Amino acid sequence: MHKNTIWYKSLLNAEKTCLKEDKIKKIHYKFDDGKEMVEEYNVDTHVLLRRAWKMKGKLGGEGKWAVEVGDPIPDATPIVDGLDITESKDQPTLLKRNTRVNIEWRIRNLPYPIETYSIKANNEDKCIIISTSNKKYYKKLEVPELYRLGLPIEQGNIDATHKYNTLIITYKKPQPLLDMDRDLYEEISKIKPMTDIPNECKTQ
Amino acid sequence: MASLAAAQVQEVRSITRIERIGAHSHIRGLGLDDALEPRAISQGMVGQKMARKAAGVILQMIREGKIAGRAVLLAGQPGTGKTAIAMGLAQALGPDTPFTSMAGSEIYSLEMSKTEALTQAIRKSIGIRIKEESEIIEGEVVEVVVERAAGGGGARSGRLTLKTSDMETNYDMGAKMIDSLLKEKVQAGDVITIDKATGKINKLGRSFARARDYDATGQQARFVQCPEGELQKRKEVVHTVTLHEVDVINSRTHGFLALFSGDTGEIKSEIREQINGKVAEWREEGKAEMIPGVLFIDEAHMLDIECFSFLNRALESETAPVVIMATNRGITRIRGTNYKSPHGIPLDLLDRMIIVPTTPYSHQELREILNIRCEEEDCQMSSDALTVLTRVATETSLRYAIQLVTTASLVARRRRAAEVSMEDVKKVYSLFLDEHRSEQFLKEYQDEFMFNDGSGVENKKYQLLD
Repeated sequence: MHKNTIWYKSLLNAEKTCLKEDKIKKIHYKFDDGKEMVEEYNVDTHVLLRRAWKMKGKLGGEGKWAVEVGDPIPDATPIVDGLDITESKDQPTLLKRNTRVNIEWRIRNLPYPIETYSIKANNEDKCIIISTSNKKYYKKLEVPELYRLGLPIEQGNIDATHKYNTLIITYKKPQPLLDMDRDLYEEISKIKPMTDIPNECKTQ
Repeated sequence: MASLAAAQVQEVRSITRIERIGAHSHIRGLGLDDALEPRAISQGMVGQKMARKAAGVILQMIREGKIAGRAVLLAGQPGTGKTAIAMGLAQALGPDTPFTSMAGSEIYSLEMSKTEALTQAIRKSIGIRIKEESEIIEGEVVEVVVERAAGGGGARSGRLTLKTSDMETNYDMGAKMIDSLLKEKVQAGDVITIDKATGKINKLGRSFARARDYDATGQQARFVQCPEGELQKRKEVVHTVTLHEVDVINSRTHGFLALFSGDTGEIKSEIREQINGKVAEWREEGKAEMIPGVLFIDEAHMLDIECFSFLNRALESETAPVVIMATNRGITRIRGTNYKSPHGIPLDLLDRMIIVPTTPYSHQELREILNIRCEEEDCQMSSDALTVLTRVATETSLRYAIQLVTTASLVARRRRAAEVSMEDVKKVYSLFLDEHRSEQFLKEYQDEFMFNDGSGVENKKYQLLD
């Protein structure tokens, strides 16, 4: 079923470059419409660790990487003059992770007990909406993985736990998504990793 | 206890902070009616009807935006309102039209060549209106806290709490953001949007929930609903950026070097060509709109022959702004040559310009201007004092008379008078010399100053010896 989706086809048709670093395999996709994406896989578990998109400003200039799945990329050169307003350190931060069977969101710095939250699948807006009864937190979580395969979000697949000031929401991957993950990894393992990488960051 | 008192002092100071007054801060526009006919006294402008009418025609020309690369020369004696007319034009054009103001001597810098400085100035005066998706924070202000580091002076830090009907978040702010929040007079209960990339703050109105806070609200108070959903949204916003800003975005080398390079320095011509191509493409696709603005060069006689010939060429390009120059020189030497020319500007460039003369103000007009300045500087002046000042302005110069307004109001305040009297004006007139009396004084006492040409005292000594 996934093989006929535009998403899967565009992945196959994209210009792919592979790079292997210890236990991590990085794949750079360059799509026909000029977009760029990078995926990182764990070689042992075949699980996607991170997926990021290059965001190009309309006015040009170097783009920034926007992380869709996985830990955010630490910024080596924070813009000194630009951003003058940022969320305080003690505010909730959202992190999306991918495991073999689940899509997982972790929201840290959220001290309210589990009864506070209401987590609803909303297929009109194609997202999962988290709201709080004390009106302190509200978030729309997009699930592009399902949307790309044309799958609806099902309330029954959503599960949530609250521990150590962290709200963890998991969404059980439906079978078509699992199939696609497996097929895509097979496809990727066919690409030969680049061998002559300039080793600039290693200290001597 | 002491710290409490200190905090109170701090608070009082920030409330009574006055806005600084500049030489032209009383100008709020060109003072024209809808038919572009000048009103006698309006928007801080007095007299100079012909020049203002001409400026009105130019204003229309700029607004229509069809004609690129026209040059206008404002010529007139010192203190006849050339800069005021240019400022009025800028105000009349509104904040969306780029208006760059520079002095002729600003182009002489060691960091970049003259033509680069001019090119940057020209590109700063051309705006592009473009739709872009941008991160917007939209919410109702719950609290604004600004803290100053101990010991005064040091870095300030600020915290802003915003909420929607569904959530609430604290933000940390830097110095720039604090300044713009204070400038916009943002307070709890306001509904604002902040563009995360540019830091631009937009006040949407006051929240309905706060409608009963005060019995009396300003006329302009607009009440809006508290926003819903998430605080941070991605929205299509129409930005106006200048060509120069696009140049800078595309030329900055990212990486470690970006940390240390504060200024843009020179921008490669390839990048500019690339940007021009891109902008032309956007315009064709209807994604962007070009807004030719105004480049105002004050003291234009300070430009040299190289700049003039560069301008000749630059004005012919289709992406040129309207260039307005102002000069107070008559027939003088063109900088960088030995030739003399009217206004110190070569004839070929003069030929491309529309020349708008300004004439000295009449007695009555001077009185009106002084009156406006008195209001601007918050100073009560008695009518006979104003008469004296007007006489001073006619006999010496308008600028000198304006200086006396400030000084006389200080003298009056010293003796705790509510109004500036004639005596105060007379006193400061005797305390501060005008340019003519200063010259007289120098002529009289020339001999006693250092390094005179030796025609004075010392000669007498020799004569005695002989």
